[in-house]
Amino acid sequence: MISIKNLSKIYGKNESHFVALDDVSFEVENGETVSIIGKSGSGKSTLMHIMSGLDHPTSGTVLINEVDLFMMKQKAMDDFRATEMSFIFQAFFVEANQTCYQNVVLPLEIAKVPLMKRKALVMEALTAVELSEKANKLAGTLSGGQKQRLAIARAIVNKPSIIFADEPTGNLDSTTGEKIMALLFGLNEKLGCTIILVTHDSELASRCKLQIRIKDGKLDAAPIEKAQIKPKPKAGLRRVL
Amino acid sequence: MRLTDVLRRSGRSLLSAKTRTILTSFAIAVGAFALTLTLAASNGAQNYADTLIRNNFDPSQLIVTGDQSLFNKADTSNPQEYNANSGSITNQAGASRTVKLISDSDLSTIKGVRGVESVEPVIQLSLQYLTRDGMKKYSATIQAFNPYRKPALLAGSIPPTIANHTLILPEGYVSALGFKDPKNAIGQQVRLAMRKTVDQSAILAALTVGGPSAAAAQNAANTTEETFTVIAVTAKASTQVQPGTELYLYSNSDSVIELNDATTKDSANYHKYLSSLVKVTDGTNSTKLKDVQDRLKKLGYGAQSVKDTQATLTQIITVLQGIVLVFGLIAVIASVFGVVNTMYISVLQRTREIGLMKALGMHKRDISSLFRYEAALIGLLGGSLGAFGAFALGTVLNPLISKQLGLGEQRLLDFRVGQIGLLILALVVIAIIAGLLPARKAAQLDPIAALRTE
Repeated sequence: MISIKNLSKIYGKNESHFVALDDVSFEVENGETVSIIGKSGSGKSTLMHIMSGLDHPTSGTVLINEVDLFMMKQKAMDDFRATEMSFIFQAFFVEANQTCYQNVVLPLEIAKVPLMKRKALVMEALTAVELSEKANKLAGTLSGGQKQRLAIARAIVNKPSIIFADEPTGNLDSTTGEKIMALLFGLNEKLGCTIILVTHDSELASRCKLQIRIKDGKLDAAPIEKAQIKPKPKAGLRRVL
Repeated sequence: MRLTDVLRRSGRSLLSAKTRTILTSFAIAVGAFALTLTLAASNGAQNYADTLIRNNFDPSQLIVTGDQSLFNKADTSNPQEYNANSGSITNQAGASRTVKLISDSDLSTIKGVRGVESVEPVIQLSLQYLTRDGMKKYSATIQAFNPYRKPALLAGSIPPTIANHTLILPEGYVSALGFKDPKNAIGQQVRLAMRKTVDQSAILAALTVGGPSAAAAQNAANTTEETFTVIAVTAKASTQVQPGTELYLYSNSDSVIELNDATTKDSANYHKYLSSLVKVTDGTNSTKLKDVQDRLKKLGYGAQSVKDTQATLTQIITVLQGIVLVFGLIAVIASVFGVVNTMYISVLQRTREIGLMKALGMHKRDISSLFRYEAALIGLLGGSLGAFGAFALGTVLNPLISKQLGLGEQRLLDFRVGQIGLLILALVVIAIIAGLLPARKAAQLDPIAALRTE
């Protein structure tokens, strides 16, 4: 479970300070799909960065499975991210002059996964995104949609418990974006990993089990469970604070 | 991240920017090239100096002079007191100065010094000519043979004790004196002519009494010829301690002294020598050699050991080596800036990649290592390229240089694998140091800012 308690983030000091997050609290059960939705500058990306430990809050805590993320030392937090978290970005961030294999194996190298196990894990991830036949092709030769699939393969290769996806379809046409989201939701069901989706697309956000709306750094309303939108609740879906 | 993974990623990064990598490596290669050649030339020069000393000097001997200033910088600005045992020498600038010579009584004094086994005057006697029946006359110089020397022989042999009036002939005279080959010269006789120091008053008296013909006869009477038998023919040595001594004739000490006496009799130079060779008992023991050297110096003599001579030669080599080394180091320092620049560009170009790696949990230390190893690989590549280039060029040029300088089989450029390895290692370390700041910058990058970079 991810538990966000009284999270605040203030940039700057005195008169020039800017409140990016203001007393945000909610909980996410393991394996859920969560969308953080809001306009540009609303604080959704800041929330994602703090939830993933990339940024530090001014106050408040982030507990992941009862572990306080910001009580960890930097090295321990890095190791935690290497094994438990993954990221998918709008701009893909795949290395064009490296092969698909080399791109996908990066998280395994960082997590010091033994060499013998790597190939199988990479090929499994590439197969899941239907890019196994491109393993030895340079990433630069792929289309936009393929690059994002490659980024997804990189995100799932170390079987993380949480995947942060920051506007994953932002650089894709609607058809390709739809395929990518179908893939992501499919992986969520198949792998059981928590997906935190940062988006300004309400339609996309509504497909997540939990929606967190951010406005001017605050929760715009109580987080909405998909069950309230589409009445097909699954047992064990989260009650959100 | 494991070391192998960091290295592999660093190598891949360098390969993805081939032109930049090669150009930066070339900057280091220039320094490596100059330093490799400097080291090789230094080794070669040192080898040459060692061989030169080994082939020409007995380490248990001291060169002893009557005048200490011959081994030190002489003070020529003050008047020198007259000394009956003095002679004059001419320096390289053509200026003449008076030095104290060694007399028979000096030789006795030196012989009496504790630890001295034997003492012999050094004589380099310019003959009037060297010839044999039916052949032209050639100018020549004769010197006593030092048994320590082991010259390469083309024919004959040099016995431990050389008989009087026997001669060791350099190969340069073989055909000039009409011998078919070196073997043909062995056992043959040649004539060495000396001119007694001219007594001007006797010639003048003969001219006054008997006219020009009497004066010419008087002058001719001053020339005497001695017959010597050739016992060995030496090959031209590549390691002459002095240029121009290739055609020196050698005989035993007694014969050379006899010739010298005949030449200098009744002159002021009779039994006066510029230097002498002093053999020290157990002189290979440096302490004993030094003891005798100190005793001789206390008596007012100049005394130099082989080590001193070697040190003088080494000093010259070191200075020359230092000059080239400075140029090499300048090239290396310049290349350091190249590496720093390249690494900074690499950090800038890979900012988003760094951000991603940090987001995925890569430690700061590993990010830093990634760039340090990248710099190290540039150093390795540049160092190897430069060293290999110098080695290849040196290997091709070595025989040509030796031929040009008349060094025979000696090689001026002596490449040593260990030295080259250490040089490359040093360049790798320098490249790593050059990459430290960019690596630190990469490690300190804020992942969020890095991921936002366009």
